[in-house]
Amino acid sequence: MAVDDSPVTRKMLKKALEPEGFVIVAEAGNGRDAVAAYSQANPDVITMDVTMPIMDGLEAAAAIKKLNPSQKIIMLSAMGDKDIVAEAQSLGISDFCTKPFKPDEIIGKILKVLAEG
Amino acid sequence: MSSTTYIVPFIKAVASVFKDMLGIVVTRGEPVDEGEGFESQGFAVIVGFTGGWRGRFFLDMPPATAIKVAGILTGEEYDSATHEEVLLCGAEIGNVVCGNAITAVNDAYPGLGIRLTPPSVFVGEGFSMFNVRLSSYSVMMQTDAGPLKINVAVEEGKR
Repeated sequence: MAVDDSPVTRKMLKKALEPEGFVIVAEAGNGRDAVAAYSQANPDVITMDVTMPIMDGLEAAAAIKKLNPSQKIIMLSAMGDKDIVAEAQSLGISDFCTKPFKPDEIIGKILKVLAEG
Repeated sequence: MSSTTYIVPFIKAVASVFKDMLGIVVTRGEPVDEGEGFESQGFAVIVGFTGGWRGRFFLDMPPATAIKVAGILTGEEYDSATHEEVLLCGAEIGNVVCGNAITAVNDAYPGLGIRLTPPSVFVGEGFSMFNVRLSSYSVMMQTDAGPLKINVAVEEGKR
């Protein structure tokens, strides 16, 4: 599941992931829509932007973790300072990827969190 | 902190993001004090920030540069800077540049807690922006895709 307010980033994620056999089961452009779509989408992994309108990614990640504490979430953000990374870690976020991302980097992180079970 | 120091992390972020995201080498000039005004080349991405620093970051370029940059990012061809994907690409590049710059500032000066607002894009001929009560600094840059200008207006806010 790809959550990012930039349709360009969602398109780039699709371009990177689909040739590798991944399926993006749902997309959302803000945290509130992500939380609303989450239960039906039932994703293995969520890539989640931080800065988004209406509800930001950290708030959305916290809400999703409340619904399913074992949900794998990778934060994918242009902002990756120590405070944000620490807040993400306190929410039990699986990993953090800073934009601009390389396709191999995000694929590697997804495979890693999936392997962790 | 000297006023021109504010723009340095943005200069570094433009160079690294354009190289990593687009494979474009950026060469730069020196910072120029533009006072409260800022004249656009026709395509301006604006990202606001708030927290320990408050202000705005502008990534400005001619429409032809915006079209080329969007084409490089998506691998598609566009004929107008007002094409939705050109606008979205500009917004995302501006957001990533500003996010990387602010990340460096937050890590260098713990406690600032600066956060971004979502980007806006303006397209048109001969428009000017005014940063009321804020001095701003610009740097002209050159790339293979055409010229770029960044403009940063900052005041130190509450920590």
